[in-house]
Amino acid sequence: MHLHFTPEQETFRAEVRAWMEAHVPKEPLVTLECREGFDQHVEWERTLASGNWGMVTWPEEFGGRGLDLIQWLIFEEEYFRAGGPNRANQNGIFLLGPTIMEFGTDDQKRRFLTPMAKGEVIWAQAWSEPGAGSDMAAISSKAIRDGDHYVITGQKTWSSRAAFADWGFGIFRTDPDSKRHKGLTFILFDLNTPGITRRPIRQLHGETGFAELFFDEVRVPIENCLAGEGEGWNVAMATAGFERGLMLRSPGRFQATAKRLVELYRMHEAEASPAAREAVVQAWGAAQAYAYNTYAVASKIMGGGKIGAEASLNKIFWSELDRSMHRTAMLLLGAHAELKRFGNGQINQWLEGYIFSLSGPIYAGSNEVQRNIVAERLLGLPRVGAG
Amino acid sequence: MDFRFTEDQLILVESIRDYFGGTHGPEVLRRLDVEGNRDPDIWQGLVDMGLTGLCVPEAHGGLGMGIVEAALIAAECGRVCLAEPLVDTAFVAVPWLIAKGETDKLSAIAAGDHKVALPHVLNPWVADGEGKPQTSVDPLRNLAMFPASGSNDDRLLNLGALMNAAQLLGLADAMLEQAVEYAKIRTQFGQPVGAFQALKHQLASCAVAVEFAKPVVWRAAAAMQDGLETAPVHVSHAKIAASDAAMLTAETAIQVHGAMGYTYEVDLHFWMKRTWALVGGWGDRSYHYKRLDEAVLGGSFPIGPEHTFA
Repeated sequence: MHLHFTPEQETFRAEVRAWMEAHVPKEPLVTLECREGFDQHVEWERTLASGNWGMVTWPEEFGGRGLDLIQWLIFEEEYFRAGGPNRANQNGIFLLGPTIMEFGTDDQKRRFLTPMAKGEVIWAQAWSEPGAGSDMAAISSKAIRDGDHYVITGQKTWSSRAAFADWGFGIFRTDPDSKRHKGLTFILFDLNTPGITRRPIRQLHGETGFAELFFDEVRVPIENCLAGEGEGWNVAMATAGFERGLMLRSPGRFQATAKRLVELYRMHEAEASPAAREAVVQAWGAAQAYAYNTYAVASKIMGGGKIGAEASLNKIFWSELDRSMHRTAMLLLGAHAELKRFGNGQINQWLEGYIFSLSGPIYAGSNEVQRNIVAERLLGLPRVGAG
Repeated sequence: MDFRFTEDQLILVESIRDYFGGTHGPEVLRRLDVEGNRDPDIWQGLVDMGLTGLCVPEAHGGLGMGIVEAALIAAECGRVCLAEPLVDTAFVAVPWLIAKGETDKLSAIAAGDHKVALPHVLNPWVADGEGKPQTSVDPLRNLAMFPASGSNDDRLLNLGALMNAAQLLGLADAMLEQAVEYAKIRTQFGQPVGAFQALKHQLASCAVAVEFAKPVVWRAAAAMQDGLETAPVHVSHAKIAASDAAMLTAETAIQVHGAMGYTYEVDLHFWMKRTWALVGGWGDRSYHYKRLDEAVLGGSFPIGPEHTFA
């Protein structure tokens, strides 16, 4: 256990800090759940890529820097220290990218990874269906082989980024007679392919950043299949592992929120209750705990270890921490909490953050599903009801 | 930067866990409870394993290991609800004596001939100390009111609090395991009660709390070992995180055991009562909360994403 950064790591931190200070937009961008904000965020992805910061852990040949996970964590800390915007391409770089790295052919790596790292192609994910949410194995959208193509018919929903993104990925039933986890295939598709209709869904905050996708005999070349036909479930589980595990929510995000919460508390100290005060201190403690745990997991992976069902512990922890920090902020704001803009014209980011935080325990596998996974796979309690 | 234990540390933990697994099951606690709480053979076993001398320098007949190793073994002591005064003597008193430059008792401690119970102003009664006996809820504590006033040394308090936190991790792990094992075998409504999500989700929440308390305790141990100025803040953070996780797990574990959990027959009560005892010791939750509050809101401690390892 050696909890000090090396001089090289400190130098790297200084390099990231200098670049971020020079480039992170001074004014917060408009939310990426609307057209204007999405375009601003894509522009930011390209700015990041111009500094070669798109995805620092990827090999140089795919637009990365070939850095290790500790360096990635340092990068993320500095990113959030500087108030860096949400990543428009998080589904690509944090979820699909690592999946392609693990399962993709050389040709797929060349085609998809570099444009992803450079922010040239923004990805949406298409997992859920109207009848397959937490129970993802209930997927019924079909992709039927026809020569060199799959013909996709069906419907996906709650597809994040899909209203404005370029490409999508998801799993489809390639064997129409199959049941549950079998006969599924992981397919990448251009969202502008004829036969795809996007219907934006208005979310809790009123914007329309995610969408339903309708597939009407959409022809997708078979080279867009990731790993083998019928391997979709295993590939999707690996992607979900990245999502719940290390990549999707790096600790810097929550440490930055905890720090802002401390600053908010100071502004409201005179009228705040002791309970609110303790909640603020606890928020800092929990964000730190999450950071320590992430460093421990990163160290383990760098030493050749793997992250399995423990990823579910992470997902439960950060999503519930995020919600509780924003709830504390809403309570501290009191009568101001409901204002979408404060008197000085500033956007009420706590309100936006609180609304978004309510989705955390739902997306990427609801926390009820995560608790089942923890209970069954980590604690060894009996499985019941799952097919 | 490497947030992993070394191979040597992991081997040490495994060997001690195996030793305790083979010699110190719940039946030992039940026997001690009937026969008088302490057993020279158990103590001699700890001496033979080198544990009394774990932190004693090699020149004084010990193994010369540090705070991180001591905390790891303290967690194992909690896991088996060890009653002998190993943690207080070998992992709290020894590092404190070394820090003060008092080395005359170290050889005797390593040899198992000298047990130390140190009082602190926040901790007037101590296990296995001299003075007027006090009755603890923990039947194996051997509590006594120390005749003289205790030290008010911060380093002693930090060592005690850190080692309590480490023991609480082991206690919590063990209570969670006991609850899970019970939930697997107790059948109601035609299935093991552990198949009901109402229980699964409570136990999963304990697993979350315990898993995220662990790295906080290890971070505090490393901070103490490295002599960081910020170590007291890390120790208070660790004590709170481990206490909260252990209290939650204790309450969940008894609930999962149902009415059996409310009996003296089920082993759980030893672990639960030790948890209550250690949570209040070496600075209670309010004490450590205030230290954390002062650090985070008082501005004396750097906070933010770039200060993960402040």
